[in-house]
Amino acid sequence: MPDQTFDGGTDPAEPEATGPTTAGGERELPPAVRVSDLWKRFGDQIAVAGIDLELPAGKFIGLVGPNGAGKTTTLSMVTGLLRPDRGTVEVGGHDVWRDPVAVKSRIGVLPEGLRLFERLTGRELLGYTGRLRGLPGAEVDKRAAQLLDVLDLAGSQHKLVVDYSTGMRKKIGLAAALLHNPEVLFLDEPFEGVDPVSAATIRRVLERYTASGATVVFSSHVMELVESLCDWVAVMAAGRIRAQGTLAEVRGSASSLQNAFLELVGAHGRDTGDTLDWLGGGAAR
Amino acid sequence: MSTTAPKAPATPSAPSLTPLFVRLKLSLLRNGLLQSGGRKAAYITSAVLALLFAALQLLGLLALRGDAHAATVAVLVTGVLALAWAVMPLFFPSGDETLDATRLVMLPLRPRSLIVALLAASLVGIGPLFTLCLVLGSALAVAHSAASAAVAVLAVPLTILVCVALARTVATANTRLLTSRKGRDLAVLSGLVIAIGFQFVNFGVQKLGDSGGLSALDPAGDVVRWLPPAAAIGAVDAASEGAYGRAALQLLLTAVALVALLYAWQRSLVRLMTSPDGSTLRPADTARKQADRPGLSGLLPEGRTGTVMLRTLRYAWRDPKTKAAWITSLAIGLIVPVVNALQGNGTVYFASFGAFMLGAQMYNQFGQDTSAFWMVVQTISTPRDAYLELRARAYAIALVTAPYTVLVAVVTASLVGNWAALPQALGLSLGLLGAMLATGAVASANFAYSIPQDSRKNVAPGQGGIASLAIVGGMLTSGLLSAPLIALTIWLHVSDRHGALWLVLPVGAVYGLLVAYAGLRAAAPRTARRLPEILTAVSRG
Repeated sequence: MPDQTFDGGTDPAEPEATGPTTAGGERELPPAVRVSDLWKRFGDQIAVAGIDLELPAGKFIGLVGPNGAGKTTTLSMVTGLLRPDRGTVEVGGHDVWRDPVAVKSRIGVLPEGLRLFERLTGRELLGYTGRLRGLPGAEVDKRAAQLLDVLDLAGSQHKLVVDYSTGMRKKIGLAAALLHNPEVLFLDEPFEGVDPVSAATIRRVLERYTASGATVVFSSHVMELVESLCDWVAVMAAGRIRAQGTLAEVRGSASSLQNAFLELVGAHGRDTGDTLDWLGGGAAR
Repeated sequence: MSTTAPKAPATPSAPSLTPLFVRLKLSLLRNGLLQSGGRKAAYITSAVLALLFAALQLLGLLALRGDAHAATVAVLVTGVLALAWAVMPLFFPSGDETLDATRLVMLPLRPRSLIVALLAASLVGIGPLFTLCLVLGSALAVAHSAASAAVAVLAVPLTILVCVALARTVATANTRLLTSRKGRDLAVLSGLVIAIGFQFVNFGVQKLGDSGGLSALDPAGDVVRWLPPAAAIGAVDAASEGAYGRAALQLLLTAVALVALLYAWQRSLVRLMTSPDGSTLRPADTARKQADRPGLSGLLPEGRTGTVMLRTLRYAWRDPKTKAAWITSLAIGLIVPVVNALQGNGTVYFASFGAFMLGAQMYNQFGQDTSAFWMVVQTISTPRDAYLELRARAYAIALVTAPYTVLVAVVTASLVGNWAALPQALGLSLGLLGAMLATGAVASANFAYSIPQDSRKNVAPGQGGIASLAIVGGMLTSGLLSAPLIALTIWLHVSDRHGALWLVLPVGAVYGLLVAYAGLRAAAPRTARRLPEILTAVSRG
């Protein structure tokens, strides 16, 4: 069986490990993800314009940026779903495009804007995904039952995914991504359109997962969320990385990540000025 | 709305409601003309064609006057018409926007006045006009006396009212279904039901021509003339024959049916407008029923093969697009050889048509996954994985097709009465199935395209070229790949080695297996190499 790592160790990467450069340097772990000179162009539009990224292992990492910044395109290329025009991506020291066997068994993915096999029930979807990953049937069923329980989906496990709400879809997608116990989890907008109760559940599961030493990379444009969840942040705008580092490093002297972000993407000074000076209830001008 | 209300909350009275709804319906019809160019043209064309067709039918029925079978035809036409009214709202729920009574749920309306108003609104439109032409024609075709003319004066409006009330009742009773996901699934399948139904009608008409006339329909007519609303036309006929008791009974039957329909309609209308939307109610725990039993799926092999086969078979049953494709193939694959055999110009070799139609399901495998193909992409790392994935999908198709091919071959052989040729036909079919699976796998890897999920189209805009290239090219290649088997069969025939013709069966089976294996082997590395490109191609729409 090609992809059967469910013991979750990080050992295979050790021989070629090079020390982390920007991750604070408290432990000698190889970076979970290393991206260099990544490019993608769609027609005339350059979606990703030469990205270099080094994401430390064992962290909760946020990839933030406004809509259209290239977050989804980047995550798709990092997870092997979209072929880059140029550049390399390594996960745990393995090249995503040259060594898919090593990479695909180590990562879990929850993409945004792509369907699931929606005509399966939640439980069938997990059974399908786990067995396709090469896990033994009994183990898949055991893990699926636990995940469904923890993610509060047990009551809907026999309903078709097509009849699930947005929050339930995100949760079943997360369960499918976690089933093979990956080392790195990539989540594209996991909280988008999710109700507060489901969001809290997802959050709890992710925090438990990173506490065990695994890495979570997720994209979002909600700064407050990133600030409260992540210990490492990469800021993206117009296809480029504007800043990366620990939350404190990226925030710098700004009062919040939101303000630091607005400064980084150059939207801070853009206040309304005098253009809307007529606006204001009651003042007849 | 004026701010100075002269009277306290105005409760709309019944008389004012009916013209309002009729005007609403007229506005909806008129708005059909306000659409953009192409749709406006289509709207006008379909309206004109429908009326032209109705006028021709009317003339045809008038021409039938005096014919011995006029009554049978008139009664059956009315029966078919009523059936069409009953199923129309199920297939085209958006055809008449006033059918969905939940849109009126916020308005203070009494059921009784609402029913009168909605019924009146239903009588406006091209459909009712079409019906009027046909029903009038049917009545005129059988009315031969003053008494029967008098009955017809009652029968024609009664028939139209029953038709309209039937559509309303069916639509109201099924509103919850039609606005749900299941209803939308049903709508995708509806085109298919019509297509297959058309095959049967076509066959029936041909059969009628063969058996020398309309007398074959008389037994059916004798039953239908007692079923409302066709019973009303039956009453006109009975009055013509002087059987006034029968006429009265048939007319009464239709009237009772109308009252019953209106009652049922009112009941479901009240229930619909006073109970909460079904989508907000959680169905009672149906989960228990199907918990954790492996069932027949336990017979499938472990690992990727069994998993993918099970998913493919589940999709053939549960996904409306895939299901429509499967049912079409199963039906056409059987209808073509059987109809040809019944018409006397068939041969047992037509049986391979079934294998061909089902083998075509192997084409655009990944397009059938839609963008959910990413889940497969995540688990394919090597050409070996891709091979197992493709092979499992081919197995799932073969699991249905192999026994189906045998069935079609046996049925065709028995109809043609040529049992001796059965082994050859089977051998050729299996060889062709192998070729279709092989070319389908290669086409899936090289020419993937999206299947839009929310429309009746089967190819996403802009991908028509690649789709036809894959299908036409694949079929020609399949023909070429089957050529050695065909040549072998012909050679055995020509060289008068009829005793050895049974050999085509084992040779065809083995040849089909080998070709399929070679095709899967060729497609696997391509698939593994092109995963992101295939995902992009199948993610449109």
